[in-house]
Amino acid sequence: MKDIPKVTGTPINRIDGIAKVTGKAPYSMDHPVKNPAYAILIKSTIASGKIQEIDATAAEKAPGVIAIITHQNAPKLNVKGGLRGGALLQSPEIEFFGQHIGIVVAETFEQARYASRLITVTYDKKEPKVDFDNLADQARLPKDKEKADARRGDVQKALSQATYKVEEVYETPIEHHHPMEPHATIAEWNGDHVTLYNSAQIVNGAQTATAATLNLKPEQVRIVSPYIGGGFGSKGGQWANLALAAVAAKYVNRPVKLALTRQQMVNSVGLRQHNRQKISLAATADGKLTALVHETTTHCAINDEFIEPCGDCSKVMYDTPNSLITYRVVPMNLILPTYTRGPGKSTGSFALESAMDELAYKLKMDPIAFRIKNEPDRDPSNGKPWSSRAMVQCLQEGAKAFGWENRKFEPRQNQQGNYWVGYGVAAGTYPAHQRPTSALVKLKRTGDHVAATVELAAADLGTGTYTILTQTAADALGLPIQNVNVIIGDSDLPPAAGAVGSVGAASYANAVNDACVKLTQELVTKSGKQFFVRPTAAQLMRSEKITDFQTRVDSKPPERAEDYSSHSFNANFAEVAVNKSTGMIRVNRFLAVTGAGTILNPKTARSQIIGGNVWGIGMALTEESVVDPRWGNFVTRSLADYHVPTNLDIGQLDAIFINEKDEHVNTLGVKGIGEVGIVAVAAAVANAVFNATGKRVRELPITPDKVL
Amino acid sequence: MRAFTYTRAKDATSAIKLLAENPNAKFLAGGTNLLDLMKEDVERPNALIDISELDLSEIKPIINGANQGGISLGGLGKNTDSANHLLVRQHYPLLSQAILAGASGQIRNMATNGGNLLQRTRCPYFYEVAMPCNKREPGTGCGAREGINRMHAIFGWSEHCVAVYPSDMAVALTALDATVIVRSANGQQRSIPIADFYRLPGNEPEKDTNLMHGELITAIELPKNRFAEQSYYLKVRDRASYAFALVSVAAALEIEGNTIKQARIAMGGVAHKPWRALKAEQILVGKEATEATFKRAANAEMADAKPLTHNAFKVELGNRSIVLALQMAVNGGKA
Repeated sequence: MKDIPKVTGTPINRIDGIAKVTGKAPYSMDHPVKNPAYAILIKSTIASGKIQEIDATAAEKAPGVIAIITHQNAPKLNVKGGLRGGALLQSPEIEFFGQHIGIVVAETFEQARYASRLITVTYDKKEPKVDFDNLADQARLPKDKEKADARRGDVQKALSQATYKVEEVYETPIEHHHPMEPHATIAEWNGDHVTLYNSAQIVNGAQTATAATLNLKPEQVRIVSPYIGGGFGSKGGQWANLALAAVAAKYVNRPVKLALTRQQMVNSVGLRQHNRQKISLAATADGKLTALVHETTTHCAINDEFIEPCGDCSKVMYDTPNSLITYRVVPMNLILPTYTRGPGKSTGSFALESAMDELAYKLKMDPIAFRIKNEPDRDPSNGKPWSSRAMVQCLQEGAKAFGWENRKFEPRQNQQGNYWVGYGVAAGTYPAHQRPTSALVKLKRTGDHVAATVELAAADLGTGTYTILTQTAADALGLPIQNVNVIIGDSDLPPAAGAVGSVGAASYANAVNDACVKLTQELVTKSGKQFFVRPTAAQLMRSEKITDFQTRVDSKPPERAEDYSSHSFNANFAEVAVNKSTGMIRVNRFLAVTGAGTILNPKTARSQIIGGNVWGIGMALTEESVVDPRWGNFVTRSLADYHVPTNLDIGQLDAIFINEKDEHVNTLGVKGIGEVGIVAVAAAVANAVFNATGKRVRELPITPDKVL
Repeated sequence: MRAFTYTRAKDATSAIKLLAENPNAKFLAGGTNLLDLMKEDVERPNALIDISELDLSEIKPIINGANQGGISLGGLGKNTDSANHLLVRQHYPLLSQAILAGASGQIRNMATNGGNLLQRTRCPYFYEVAMPCNKREPGTGCGAREGINRMHAIFGWSEHCVAVYPSDMAVALTALDATVIVRSANGQQRSIPIADFYRLPGNEPEKDTNLMHGELITAIELPKNRFAEQSYYLKVRDRASYAFALVSVAAALEIEGNTIKQARIAMGGVAHKPWRALKAEQILVGKEATEATFKRAANAEMADAKPLTHNAFKVELGNRSIVLALQMAVNGGKA
């Protein structure tokens, strides 16, 4: 029998690609159910106060209306069940504009939407707290212990003694995730069990939170989420709409489809908060950092706290004897903020990496040399050794590939026609973790043909989970990829980590590999033979004439993983062209060089990185959710107002992976790439804009008016 | 969306009759703006008269009449077809550029010429029914006047409305002195110079145009001109595609030697209608086509701007954009 070549690490096409482009991959609303009714959420039109009266008389009489559910007739739910953002119709209190205040269920979506507009609500209004600029000075200490002030050494002294320093404030606006697939749920009850077809980055988390909210046991709730049309954090923790779909279906005793409209997305499923970050850096004349202070002020919901960890990059990126990381937060009448791609790191690195660029300029040092000069040999925040850290290599290889030597040190030195052209660099990082995940592997032999089914409640956000798990299992079992069937996205399967925080690939692939290794060992034991060269599971199935065999593991990170500090690192290079007359900016070229351990599939990995780069460019140049400070509503409610970059805004994108073997992080050496792709992009672009124009923009997004 | 009746019109006469009979009826052509607004409950017609299959999409030379030697664009011609038509590209490249600067390929494939002229403002307060808006609901107030108004007007606004008109196509048509040809319920044809077609908001911001209920745009006529060699449409926006203008400038020049014989400038993104920059034009005519002249012209026009809280940048941007558009026009569209 000839060996099957290994496929892990090769750029095979997406396993689910054909199903997706032919429309055969079912997203949440596509699953067939019998006789569904359609629900639409009613939303508050004030940001703070109390509902006095809801007049639904006209709506109840509207054609097709089956039920109207408000706080007056909604069942009692557990508001602390784990769904985010409240708005579960449990009281008349209003805490933010666009809070869910009811559900209309009708025979068709159009009838439900029409009836929802016939409902009139009267409120006792209170003055909303929505103007961050006016409220920022009331910010308090966080309740979250991880956000307590983290101090090393004496930053005040170091700053007061330094000749070279930067003390600046950087602002990042509210952003929304806006996945192409808005949040949507089909709820179908069978007795006291409910099936929820609902995109979930954390399948088991969605199950337990919804069950607790509905006062059910987890096994009474099934989450089905085979495909996810983007999530970016907004489908990690789940929101009220998921439970309300179940409530509506129970109420009308029929399957119910509940989809959010694009306009409803802005105040239903979280947001990335507005961060005001002050960075203070001090350095010696030869470029050694002596102090790094990162002070973040932000907002959270009125009755719940979530704070992006903006100071995280500052904890691990650079070696400095004196450091201070702080957070302050002000509750406001806006929906609860949540995890958004590169949470804290992308926003935090914009501030840190812009400040590093500013200080390098003052020091008259090349910004790459300045970073390398301050490279820490251990994690400065906890003294642990790195499991691997390719930061310097990323910077150096990137500089070479990008043609960094062509950069002019002084801004406004590179004029091409009516454009200023500039280069920028920024360094990024994201922690690498493996989370407990179970996996079941089943082998079936028919004649000489052996096929595997791999099952776990993992999630594929469109990132390539199906593909990398097929590759991992094929190699571990000795099978061609077409004989491996990966089934994920269902809470009935063995429990798995979420596709969040860049833990998906490491957790899932290691679990699948562990299960395949265990299964092979069990087959060896079963054979009762001893082998000089261990056969594959596929070979054993044939030689031992076994027709069915299966095993399951509950996989955990290696015991000594915690002895190391594990992160992915990358260097980001941007070339921008800024129109001298109009201030319009185009990113001519962008390059990300990443050290993320083992790359399971270079094709899907590249897509992940350049996808992150595109969002980072959006963060840098176009994306902003704007609140009217009088009423607390978002005025940017559609994709015509909330600008993501278009093809015309970006030229060439390139991703390079460092060949990195990390022997400590986990068995397969996988560090994760989902988040790191976005982390340092905005700073690289902003630094390039400075290099082009001499204008330092510290407030994102860098729209034309800011560079005029 | 509220319930409405749908009728597919067989010919223009019956379409106009159906509409005239019902004050709450609307024509449906490409639907790229109207249907969005109906879904958002902003537009609430109780009847749609589908005119998309009427025979009004031809682009042809004008053989006689006031605009003899010019071209006529059918009211129901698709934006994509108009932008790419040989006659338009050869003789009115400014119009072609402006159309292609608007919306997206998909939208331009659906949107019609007449519909483009009648699209409504993208002011976010107009779009959200929970907000006050005098244009949507007269008497409720203007949400944007003291609200978020970065995208709003710097010319010609009133206390009742600070919205801007969104079309790119109409900005070019304004620079090119187009005429809008409409047919009324009584069968009469009316020619409206584009300068009289649009309105400033004044006390009646609910009225975008001077078109009367029951009138159908059958064609847009462009007079013959000598601007084809030296014209340019500049659109400044927050991203390079699928974004409304912060400021746009349609510039067209006729130059003999180095002397400007005729100049046409219209601006988008600055007012409730395409803003014809007459002061700038006056300064240009008879002068040499130099940067100094262009700057003087731009300064003269922008001196009258009255920015709001968040859009003061449009004054400087408008100034620079006029200069750049004129330079681009002189260079035949090349930087």
